[in-house]
Amino acid sequence: MKTPINIFIVDDNQLFAMSLKADIETTFADRPIKISLFEIGEKCMDRFKRSTPQLVILDYYLNTNHPSAANGIKVLDWIKKENADTYVIILTGDDNIDVAVKSFQHGASDYIVKTETTFKKINYSLLNMFNVMEARNDVRRYKRLLRLLFLCVAFFIGGVTAIFIYAR
Amino acid sequence: MHQLNINKNAANVCDLAYLTEIMAGKKTLIKGIMDRFLIQIPEELSNLKNAIAEEKYASIQSYAHTMKSSVSIMGITTLTPILKLMEDLAKLGLDIKKIEELNKQLNTICNKALSEITNESVGYL
Repeated sequence: MKTPINIFIVDDNQLFAMSLKADIETTFADRPIKISLFEIGEKCMDRFKRSTPQLVILDYYLNTNHPSAANGIKVLDWIKKENADTYVIILTGDDNIDVAVKSFQHGASDYIVKTETTFKKINYSLLNMFNVMEARNDVRRYKRLLRLLFLCVAFFIGGVTAIFIYAR
Repeated sequence: MHQLNINKNAANVCDLAYLTEIMAGKKTLIKGIMDRFLIQIPEELSNLKNAIAEEKYASIQSYAHTMKSSVSIMGITTLTPILKLMEDLAKLGLDIKKIEELNKQLNTICNKALSEITNESVGYL
């Protein structure tokens, strides 16, 4: 069985987060996916240290219910410092180019504005990232195979050389 | 399978077609979202009411912004322009009277939506 893809959703709107989780699970029903929900970045980071996700869907504004909560960019910085390989999708209700630029500068993999088609856009982005993850896994697997093949060839040449020397 | 009667009445403010589509018709998931809606919307309305009473424009903007996502899941399209205008006015920090007026409309429509979802969720037990 494949190891599940670990995804964190960080959004202070629980109704939105629950709906998004259900939508992702429905859309990617054929893939093993484990999704955890967090209302604020601080809670996400507590868990992050124990179970590093491959992917985080992170809302930019996280202080609606908790005024002192860190914003999405600060959480993005924490995530990237903790594990640079984690993909982060930034969500925002503002179609603001400054937020978009800032998100990419801080290491976000994608930036999605919340509209009526948000879920579709997120799923499309996830699909692309799953493909990239699979491609990277394939590269790792081929590298391992290549290393093994190289060792076998080296061992074979070494063996033949040893036999040749012994026979002389 | 339970029929979504809520979609058939033009007088209703909710349209659950979108929710049903994204949940692929799974009743348990739809029920979970409905239950969350019934808890969250009164909280959001209360937060917004307090923020308006205290004329805290940043909070009004933030709550109106959050509510846009919440109501769109239940297909309450009539609220999108109302919340957008509230958010824009709060962002500029002006016209609290207009914001109060919009808040009255918001409450009327949300209370109707809460009533519709309460009735509808019975069919998902």
